[in-house]
Amino acid sequence: MTSLPDRHDRRAEPVPRPAIAWRVSMPRITSAAQFLPYILFCGAILAVPSFVSDPFLLNKFARYLALGLAAAALALSWGYCGILNLGQGVGFGLGAYAMAMHLKLKTSPVHTGSAGLPDFMVWNNLDHLPWFWQPFHSGLFALAAAVLLPALVAALLGWFMFRARIAGVYVAIITLAMLAVTNLVFVDQQAYTGGLNGITDLAWFEMGGVEFDPYSPAFYYLSAGSLAFFLMLGMVFTRSKAGLVLRAIRGGTDRVLFFGYDMASYQCLAFSLSAGMSGVAGMLYAMVLEFASPTFMGVPLSLSMVIWAAVGGRGSLLGATVGAILVNGTQGSLSEAFLNSWQLILGALFILVVVFLPNGLAGLVHNLGARLSGRLRGMAADRAPSALLNRR
Amino acid sequence: MDILLGQLFTGLSIGSVLLLVALGLAIIYGTMGVINLAHGEFVMLGAYATWFLQSTLGLTLLPCLLVVFLMVAAAGWAVERTIVRFLYRRPLDTILATWGIGIMLQQAVRLAAGADLRYVQTPDQLAGSIDLAGVAIPSYRLFILAFSAALLGLTWFVVQRTEFGMKLRAVTQNREMASCYGIDSARIFTLTFAFGSGLAGLAGALIAPIKSVAPDMGTNFVVDAFMVVVVGGVGSLFGTVASAGLIGGGTAGFAFLLNDTLAKALVFLGVVVLVRFRPQGLFAATGRR
Amino acid sequence: MAYLELQGLEVSFDGFKAVNGLDLSIERGELRCLLGANGAGKSTTLDLICGRTQPTGGRILLDGRDITQDPEYRRSRLGVGRKFQVPSVFKELSIRENLEIARSRHPEPWRTLCVFPSRRPSPRVAEVVEIVGLEDALDTQAAHLSHGQTQWLEIAMLLVQDSALILMDEPTAGMTVQETGKTSAIFQRLRGRHTLIVVEHDMGFVREVAETITVLHQGRRLSEGPIQAIENDPKVREAYLGSGGISHA
Ligand SMILES: Nc1ncnc2c1ncn2[C@@H]1O[C@H](COP(=O)(O)OP(=O)(O)O)[C@@H](O)[C@H]1O
Ligand SMILES: [Mg+2]
Repeated sequence: MTSLPDRHDRRAEPVPRPAIAWRVSMPRITSAAQFLPYILFCGAILAVPSFVSDPFLLNKFARYLALGLAAAALALSWGYCGILNLGQGVGFGLGAYAMAMHLKLKTSPVHTGSAGLPDFMVWNNLDHLPWFWQPFHSGLFALAAAVLLPALVAALLGWFMFRARIAGVYVAIITLAMLAVTNLVFVDQQAYTGGLNGITDLAWFEMGGVEFDPYSPAFYYLSAGSLAFFLMLGMVFTRSKAGLVLRAIRGGTDRVLFFGYDMASYQCLAFSLSAGMSGVAGMLYAMVLEFASPTFMGVPLSLSMVIWAAVGGRGSLLGATVGAILVNGTQGSLSEAFLNSWQLILGALFILVVVFLPNGLAGLVHNLGARLSGRLRGMAADRAPSALLNRR
Repeated sequence: MDILLGQLFTGLSIGSVLLLVALGLAIIYGTMGVINLAHGEFVMLGAYATWFLQSTLGLTLLPCLLVVFLMVAAAGWAVERTIVRFLYRRPLDTILATWGIGIMLQQAVRLAAGADLRYVQTPDQLAGSIDLAGVAIPSYRLFILAFSAALLGLTWFVVQRTEFGMKLRAVTQNREMASCYGIDSARIFTLTFAFGSGLAGLAGALIAPIKSVAPDMGTNFVVDAFMVVVVGGVGSLFGTVASAGLIGGGTAGFAFLLNDTLAKALVFLGVVVLVRFRPQGLFAATGRR
Repeated sequence: MAYLELQGLEVSFDGFKAVNGLDLSIERGELRCLLGANGAGKSTTLDLICGRTQPTGGRILLDGRDITQDPEYRRSRLGVGRKFQVPSVFKELSIRENLEIARSRHPEPWRTLCVFPSRRPSPRVAEVVEIVGLEDALDTQAAHLSHGQTQWLEIAMLLVQDSALILMDEPTAGMTVQETGKTSAIFQRLRGRHTLIVVEHDMGFVREVAETITVLHQGRRLSEGPIQAIENDPKVREAYLGSGGISHA
């Protein structure tokens, strides 16, 4: 920051105002109602292992939750802030690779013997571990990198775009192109990234004496816990005044600038928070599948995330999450024969949602709820606002 | 010298394929503001239609072209009437809906024709190569180059010299005003979309002999073609040509110095920087948006 | 030195000079009216002051500080508030939320991240919505307001923002006589505590509120002075000839 003179000198002399201009107070009753579905959902996913003991089922659910987190991340930037990030896979992939690098290093002695190098490096005639692989011996570093690296990359890209007031379609184009770039670079740098195959044969993550076998309840809790944490964090973020400013920006005006809000900073903030979340999602995804591959950064997966979020409701973190779980759950439960027509159905569903139901399932539920409570309240006398609106 | 000439031709060749694919996309985006992510699937449809005509009726490539154009244009017409027309004022949503259309088309073809790679034969007359200043140039590549130029000429003629083109330009500039003068803009849009799709179909037919034909072949094309349109600038035919040349040349050049993958990555990176500093594209004709 | 100084300000749009070497100085606490025919460059002048448009020449000094290169948000933080000619509010947000955005003493992201707007309006907001008569519609989405109400909402937002320098572009456009009267009452209360620049066509309103008037013509300052002097200035009469004199501008 440059040294701005104290703003109090510059402003008009105070009209009496509350002593503390910014007050930390949680939103009240209506907001409590908005939190309720989130709390119920988080409680439900955390309770699953009490009812399900089949390891394969748990593994499957954990995978859906990871994808749900990715969709929630997208909804945060797209639905709440109007930033359609078609390159959601960049953050997702970076998170996945960060974790995969760590888990690969944990296995590599087993797979390659002597030098302790990952197998694909040996095949590519590397004779020592590249410097940027070194820190990934530490699990803590990998965890941090899986969140911070995507967030940092997004912050830089965001700064680059939003400083120039790039918005709407052009954000979609730039993020799509960046996705392609990232994907191509990862494919190209075989010796460091495993190329087209990606990083395979991963060990299990271990932290604090707990081993996260992807088929164990422990791993499921990691997945569900991360999702719950980020849903709540996202919820609080969107309810904060910063979230309000972002919703104001979403409307497409630069009016906030004239109230002193630095639009680009806000957009960067949301964009990188979203990327950090998708980084965590990618990290979980790599752990659950036990590999990381450049397809994580492929155009199809990123656009699929958009589909999930749109179907569930782009304007609701929970809606997008549920959308991802529903779509993937349905897809996963279909037989091989039916899977073919499923893509047709999915495409059609997506088109229908985009054209006729822009707020997705969440919007549908919301409308039903509003109609229901409206009917309940309908008995009471007309409310003042409508009277006021009719007056003029 | 030979190397240089060879490279130049490679660049031109890549550029002409890009142009072929991008032309239809450019017209649709420039006129309607619709970002058609299903464009790649129309290319794919064109390739499959060619394969189908060739393997069932034994037609050679050239007679196929007209039929393919009409078939794919009809598909485009149907898509526009049923879906795209709801989204004229929501450019971001067109990206999504047309992606959904793409998924459906891909899967429909996969169900109908199987997921195997298909091959289309190069016409016998064009199978050889021509010696140009000591460089052997495949005739078919040359043919594509010439055909792209011809299509470009045709498109230019349609847009600039026909009544349809005049209406189209009127609608592009100001839809409301054009409607006031009795131009049925919805009809113009539908025809434009069909025309653009037909062009994509032609591109697919022409590309089929040099690439393998598969249901998911369109995905790569559409991203590339889209970058061409964006760099060229909305509503500028000349811009699309120049940018196809630029991107084709850039890709060939970087590929020569590095490798194909990195070349593509670098070109995309270039596109990102360009969009950042000139979102309207290099050769934007009008100040749209 | 005056509070706001425009020195040789100039902007050209594709060669057309909308503002052409404009000098203006405004004292702290002054209420200045800008007059001029349509296209004289009044809105553009306000755009230049608040940073929406970058000048192609000249300087803008606010309280002695050169703000010519500062981006909009920084000028706002230095105390410049703006009401636009076409009422500009956040249509997707409720009135309450619009006012919350306007309450922007701490606009940095790391500050707003820790604020959770409460449903109970602050005393200042409550006072302002009562002044503009929107107290019953706090939860109405701004998109559902009439044109006049939208004007009032934007004025309310400026009152809440509480800037030292307020730029008003045709605040009474589309208002009834009573509403115009109310607006002039608000202005009387603001004068002295705030510096105001008001673009207005309604001469009745101008007579009521203005001390000094600046008349713009083709991007230049044509005349400046108290209302009588302006009305009797032959140059002004000439510039308005054909539109039937200043009171019909
Ligand atoms: N962004 C712009 N691009 C081109 N011309 C502009 C732009 N903004 C304003 N103008 C022109 O500048 C002149 C002054 O406009 P304005 O300041 O809005 O006048 P007014 O005094 O009526 O508020 C007008 O002729 C207008 O057409
Ligand atoms: Mg004006």
